[in-house]
Amino acid sequence: MRAGPSQEEIRRHNLGALLRHVHLGGPISRAELTTRMGLNRSTIMALTSDLTAAGLVREELPRETGRAGRPSLVVRPESSRVYVFAFDVGPDRLAAARVGLGGAILDRREAARERGPFRLEELAGALAGFARQMRRKTRDDTVCVGAAAAVSGGVRKSDGVIRFGPNLRADEVPFGEELGRRLGLGLPVTVGNDANLAALAEHSRGVGMGVRDLIYLHGDVGIGGGIIAGGHLLGGHDGYGGEVGHMVVNPGGRDCGCGSSGCLEAEVGERALLEAAGRLGRHGAAQHGRDAVRAVVDGADRGDIVAQEALGRVGDWLGLGVANLVNIFNPEMVIFGGMLREVYLGSAAQVRSRLALHAMAPQREKLRLRTSALADDATLVGAAELAFAHVLADPLEALARVSG
Amino acid sequence: MTPLLEVRGIDKSFGPVQVLHDVTLHAHAGEVTALVGDNGAGKSTLVKCIGGIHPIDAGEIVFDGKPVQVHGPRDAGELGIEIVYQDLALCDNLDIVQNMFLGRERRSGLVLDEATMEELAQQTLSGLSVRTVKSIRQQVSSLSGGQRQTVAIAKAVLWNSKVVILDEPTAALGVAQTAQVLELVRRLADTGLAVVLISHNMNDVFAVSDRIAALYLGRMAAQVRTADVTHAQVVELITAGRSGDLGLKNGVTP
Repeated sequence: MRAGPSQEEIRRHNLGALLRHVHLGGPISRAELTTRMGLNRSTIMALTSDLTAAGLVREELPRETGRAGRPSLVVRPESSRVYVFAFDVGPDRLAAARVGLGGAILDRREAARERGPFRLEELAGALAGFARQMRRKTRDDTVCVGAAAAVSGGVRKSDGVIRFGPNLRADEVPFGEELGRRLGLGLPVTVGNDANLAALAEHSRGVGMGVRDLIYLHGDVGIGGGIIAGGHLLGGHDGYGGEVGHMVVNPGGRDCGCGSSGCLEAEVGERALLEAAGRLGRHGAAQHGRDAVRAVVDGADRGDIVAQEALGRVGDWLGLGVANLVNIFNPEMVIFGGMLREVYLGSAAQVRSRLALHAMAPQREKLRLRTSALADDATLVGAAELAFAHVLADPLEALARVSG
Repeated sequence: MTPLLEVRGIDKSFGPVQVLHDVTLHAHAGEVTALVGDNGAGKSTLVKCIGGIHPIDAGEIVFDGKPVQVHGPRDAGELGIEIVYQDLALCDNLDIVQNMFLGRERRSGLVLDEATMEELAQQTLSGLSVRTVKSIRQQVSSLSGGQRQTVAIAKAVLWNSKVVILDEPTAALGVAQTAQVLELVRRLADTGLAVVLISHNMNDVFAVSDRIAALYLGRMAAQVRTADVTHAQVVELITAGRSGDLGLKNGVTP
């Protein structure tokens, strides 16, 4: 039998827990930390001075407290000094950001991506170029502690290979490895599914803060999902879990990019909406992407009957999909992100009617339906959190590795 | 859970025309209650009765469990009831801060306490995650429709209000701005306010509401949980006053 955790392990755990409070909650006084973490004052002091010495946090006198007595020092994350690189590869955009400890996006680069075959070298090269540009603008005392990427596809947990990505047209691509090599920072690049990471982002910093059971639905070209159950992301055995877009809602329905038919993605995705609205292949206006989806919602609002019918149809299928998920997972909140934000707001009557008809009463009673608070940044913020994960798990060791 | 605001048995006539018949409505803290009904069903009149603009002929208003008298907008304001009207009573020639504090300016001594007002206005806007407004010293005339709506809503929230009533906040807005205002409405309720939303747009109603109250020819046809009804049922309640077991029986509240 194993003995209890050693003192060293407890200290490591506490350092991580304290840093997590500061990272997610922002500046906080030592006094507040003592109550939140349930540790005594001298322990908090020892932990903060360790983190200060490592350059992860700094302590300052508060501006004014309005209370009597000696004010407690405020612990702040060293946001401008300690940072990570976050990347996002979607069907229509490439994005990179430099994100400081505490979650502030310090700098960012974005480029439109042409839909077409997944060219690994070109893509990794472009992203690494963004990172180099941003790195050049930093001061000398800054330190990059991690890097992670969100990709629109299924990512194998064990080695970060993009196993499938019908909308990126990627298949068995060693993306993390290639990007890591091109970055040349001596840091591994962790890779995750974009909807999974956006779910984590909304859970830790967005509309789902403090919600332990939530489902995030991400609409891009297809429909991705992230399920958080009991505060943990449901990854499944190999990390491919949460692909709610490929739940079959209409057997024998429209063909899906995954090879099946009648998947939620095939009935609700961008193509389904644009086709139903008669806007696929139409010349002039935006032919696909977010602008085309917005144009349909806008048209419906202005009274375009075809657009209204298309949106209503898509809303029906979306509601059916959400009803299934609600029955199975009993989430406290369902969040609509990406283009599903517009689709939900434009077809909420259909979505919720379906829920009233098909979701079971106990599950839907307290269900909250929300739109993403982080909007288009959700996937990047999620990637940043993934990149910070190892720092929060063991702050001093992680820092020693990069500065050593 | 007891509702934060409850009106019971309200009657209201304008001369020989009875506009509201025995109307009951409740709004809970932390929830959005959508008030729907056809043109002329009495939505705006009901709201003006709650806001103290029209005196009521019969019935009572219960706030936080206690019966209260609302004889004017000032009484409503003191209780923490704020109403954002369709026409948005904002002054074009004043900036955002001046508008938010209009008539209730902070003073330090003889002069206006601009610094405090600015800080409070900024806090309120950022507390509502409003990022669309560039400067709070911008004149209101330079704002878009959605931004004006945002300022009007923020103004209502500034005064530690507990109930915010919004009369068609998305009526004149484009899709992108409607989305922002709807999200703001939802956030108001999520921060613990009781929100009453008047709207004709069923998607807006279903997108953010927790309960739906349907008025039909001056009578409250039904007040239901949004999770329990379909679009078709709500449309029936609005246009016919009843839908299956829901709604009025023989034209009167059962």
